[in-house]
Amino acid sequence: MATSVLLACGLNEQKLPGFVHISEESNVDGSFLISCILGQRLRISNAGTLLVCLQHHYQHYFNAGMRLGYNTNIFQGKTLNVIDVLSDMASEGLACKWLRTPDGLSLTEQLVEDIRAQVESNYANRNSYTILIDNLSILFNLGASKLQVQQFCQDLASLAKERDNLTVITKLSNSDIYQPTDNNVAKLGQLRIQVVRLKSGVFREVDGKLLIERVLDEGSYACEEARKEVLYKVNDRNVKVFTPGEVGVKV
Amino acid sequence: MLSNLLVTKQKVVLIIDELNRERIALKFIDSLLHEQGQEAGTIKTLPIGNLRHVSSYEALLNECGNNNNNNNQTGDAADFKAVPVTVAGVTTKAEYNVILPTLADLLCYQTPAYIFSFINRLRQSEHVRRVFLWASPQHLQHHHAQYILAGCEYLAELILRLETETLLSLISRKPGGGVSNKRYSCQVTKTEFQVTPLDGPATTGSPKQPSPESEQTAEPASSTFKIELDEDEVVARNALTLPYERTSEPAEGSIIYTPDADDDFDDEDPDEDLCI
Repeated sequence: MATSVLLACGLNEQKLPGFVHISEESNVDGSFLISCILGQRLRISNAGTLLVCLQHHYQHYFNAGMRLGYNTNIFQGKTLNVIDVLSDMASEGLACKWLRTPDGLSLTEQLVEDIRAQVESNYANRNSYTILIDNLSILFNLGASKLQVQQFCQDLASLAKERDNLTVITKLSNSDIYQPTDNNVAKLGQLRIQVVRLKSGVFREVDGKLLIERVLDEGSYACEEARKEVLYKVNDRNVKVFTPGEVGVKV
Repeated sequence: MLSNLLVTKQKVVLIIDELNRERIALKFIDSLLHEQGQEAGTIKTLPIGNLRHVSSYEALLNECGNNNNNNNQTGDAADFKAVPVTVAGVTTKAEYNVILPTLADLLCYQTPAYIFSFINRLRQSEHVRRVFLWASPQHLQHHHAQYILAGCEYLAELILRLETETLLSLISRKPGGGVSNKRYSCQVTKTEFQVTPLDGPATTGSPKQPSPESEQTAEPASSTFKIELDEDEVVARNALTLPYERTSEPAEGSIIYTPDADDDFDDEDPDEDLCI
């Protein structure tokens, strides 16, 4: 269902890089990548996953998973744990801890505390652990500053460095105004996937383009990088990828 | 090699990176220092996890000072293996190369005022030999990032700007007040950074005012007018007196008075009674 896109991004392996960042340009939606990665992680036996829902609530990922051929409910509470910020807000209102900032902690600090607690309790029992955060730009809407978001990501990156087989995957909609934040988050990891729209406009058979940058080796004065470009189309039950130039008018 | 240009007597070195190499900033500077034979023991860094607390900045300053004092004591105790080395009774100072975190990371945890103050204290510290700061404009998300970067440039004595993959510029402020702005072409591999000076006006030393003569002779190649004068024309021009010069020729001022027959000239001073 989503193997080809994961293969193109280099995310189909059991062991993922420590920190992966997905940059989303204005006017495109890269949420399908989160669903694809989630499905791939859940299929690996004894691989733990923590899903931090900021843009969509858990039910969205359940629905998306069902279309892509996996059922998150089967894994929830076992290999899948969820921090559903949106649902908490909806059910508890202003009394919700994400809005109340108890103990003087900011929203991002509270999130780090919760993520750390989840990792502490689950990481030891799993072969690998993946933290999926969708979407960092929602933190801006909830009152976090750019610097707080950067600190939040640095805390997560240090968490990934402290432990082997722990992967943090973040997504940020840069909305064409958060580019420096986007760059600062991307530099924390080895793999960056940019979801960009087509320069030529809207096309029925292609939704956008994925620019994949992977740092292979960090030298003293320059990095050895691998870059790849693929076009993608999100269908109802799968995601297709094409190499640029493959799709066109056939006479 | 780039390290020959950067590891000099100048104390505060700012590297402005337009190429998004921020992830290897620490390695980059570390390699420059190692190329110039600076030992690992003389290099001090601030771990990114400690940037939140002001105390860790103070600790770095104290550490440089304390280590220096301790080393001096061990030197006095004739421990010749310890740094600094005592040569003929004179103890050399153990001075440190401080590699600061990138400006984007510093700004993430501290205010610009504190960062400037900290750099200034490092600059004034006699135990610090060099301070390196890396700034990538693409990563600066502060509202006043441009002003902050300009402030860092003001504090720095050596400013390296990595402009493109093959081009860099280096502004050097010498203690005497001289400023040089040179451009270099560069060849970068993973382990080497070779630079070659570029010829041209940008490679000259401090910017000089062009002389009026050179301004006169400067003629755009595409001009259809003949601006230059040959020798005969210059002589003819100088010999020519323009009309306004003729009318304004200086003449001796004099009053011509022809007395009438009836004029009575009195030799006495008419104002004598005024006692002037």
